[in-house]
Amino acid sequence: MRKWILTLAAMTLLAAACAEETPPADNGSPSASAEENQTAAECTDEYQADLFAPDTLTIGTGNPAYEPWYGGKSEAGSDWKSGDFTGDPHSGEGYESAFAYALAEEMGFTGDQVDWVSVTFNKSFAPGPKDFDFAMQQISILPKREKAVDFSAGYFDVNQALIANEGSPAIGVTTLAGLKDLKLGAPIGTTSLQAIEELVQPTQEPSAYDDLDLALKDLKNGQLDGVVVDFPTAFYGYADVVVGQFPNIGGEQEQFGLAFETDSSLVECADIAIEAMRDDGRLDDLKSQWLEVDTSVPVFS
Amino acid sequence: MSEPGVFAPMGAPGLDPPVPGGDRRSKILGGGSARTTWIAIVSTLIFFTVAGLLIVRSTGWPQVRQSFFDPEEFAYAFPEILAKFGRNVFIFCVAEVLVLALALLIAVLRSLPGPVFAPLRILAAAYTDIFRGVPTILVIALLGFGMPALQLKGLPNSDVFWAILALTLVYSAYVAEVYRAGIESIHPSQVAAARSLGLTRGQSLRHVVLPQAIRRVIPPLLNDFIGLQKDSALVAFLGYTEALQRARIIQANDFNFTPYVALALIYVFITIPQTRFVDWLIARERTKRHGGAEL
Repeated sequence: MRKWILTLAAMTLLAAACAEETPPADNGSPSASAEENQTAAECTDEYQADLFAPDTLTIGTGNPAYEPWYGGKSEAGSDWKSGDFTGDPHSGEGYESAFAYALAEEMGFTGDQVDWVSVTFNKSFAPGPKDFDFAMQQISILPKREKAVDFSAGYFDVNQALIANEGSPAIGVTTLAGLKDLKLGAPIGTTSLQAIEELVQPTQEPSAYDDLDLALKDLKNGQLDGVVVDFPTAFYGYADVVVGQFPNIGGEQEQFGLAFETDSSLVECADIAIEAMRDDGRLDDLKSQWLEVDTSVPVFS
Repeated sequence: MSEPGVFAPMGAPGLDPPVPGGDRRSKILGGGSARTTWIAIVSTLIFFTVAGLLIVRSTGWPQVRQSFFDPEEFAYAFPEILAKFGRNVFIFCVAEVLVLALALLIAVLRSLPGPVFAPLRILAAAYTDIFRGVPTILVIALLGFGMPALQLKGLPNSDVFWAILALTLVYSAYVAEVYRAGIESIHPSQVAAARSLGLTRGQSLRHVVLPQAIRRVIPPLLNDFIGLQKDSALVAFLGYTEALQRARIIQANDFNFTPYVALALIYVFITIPQTRFVDWLIARERTKRHGGAEL
């Protein structure tokens, strides 16, 4: 019995000694465990020098910027021009714009310290110095792309959907096989095109467009039976009917990520911020606030 | 241009036709001796080595090599793009046949003499002015997106149809001017001679003027054909999957520009033999016309 007590006492002492020793080690050199507890703001502070412009988070996105990712009205002097289906990233409205300002706050910036530059899709991954800290324009994380850019953690889970206008033979189709003989189109650089090629494997070659706008033009002209877009976009009045949603390509959940210049140290900070926002439910809140989707739309089988 | 000669691989021989009195020429120009040949070789080597080193040693080169010269990506993209290049060949061949016919008609209309034909001349002139003035990609976009929107019965919806029509309209304007230059280069005395032999105006145009005029403008016609071949890539804008569009799809999916390099190589491969052929034609024409009396 005495032995027991002695052993216990010794262990308690040891544990206490250890516990006391740990904090000084933490405060000294930044050990691995210390960085794990770092907030996004601290991280950004540490890598201040890597920002494109001092004390500013510069974000590149497409122009025009489409609903539901970018909403609101443009103010005079903005590079963006809002319209029926387009918004302005400066507005803080629309999922990606709102997400950007929340992310910036988490990384220690005020709203005024967020700057937007318009970049074409190609420019977001072209080699060479970038004039932004990261690009955010519904860029899907794909393994091959990681050779050219560094992706942050995924901030949005996405899948693809088919939209069509009244009178299209696509309406009422519920199976991938039923889409096979239709003439489908999608914007270039999106996984929408991959959904057509890999999931539908159509007999007619799909058309690929520079811009959602051009694809919709051909849909209206009757040159296309349907256009594939990402699921949230399907609900914003671009066409009459949301025919159905596609299952994941290759069985993996597709995600949008922020695209950084390769080896940018800021990726780490964005990751910390995104994970924090995921953990405390802010990502979900943004989703329910800005994206009105009807999840009951059937999935093509 | 539909004659098979266009695609026939033309070798280097014959590029420089033998010039009588060549010895004197080489003396004047300082070419020919072994020493100058060596200087040329060495200076070329130095130039390209320095230029190459400047590129390869630059800080951005590793990234550029990864983005533009990725062997793995090239191996994947090249056959994919080449497979679609057949569509470009179809587009520019059909367009060229139409261009040669339409442009000749316009050129002849524009060369019609007499006050009665004034409206035709004005129309032809307006046509060439407008279509030489508007960027090709705009004509393609206006026709390709605009015409199907009219939803007129009987008009095709196909991108290829409208693209071929747009290219034909634009290039006919250029080619009509080439023809016209050829027609005007024929001395009026030839028409006078033909007319004095009893040929009608139409007959003298058909049998005397045009045969000579067209022969004279074959090199510029070929140049325009090469331009047309390159502009067939603009059809990508309509969403039609020809070679450039295929390259862009791969590029955007993989975030890699190597497919562009692959397509550029295909173009270089088909256009360089043609440009060499044109150079050879011009050189031959020159020697023929001047009897080798040039310097």
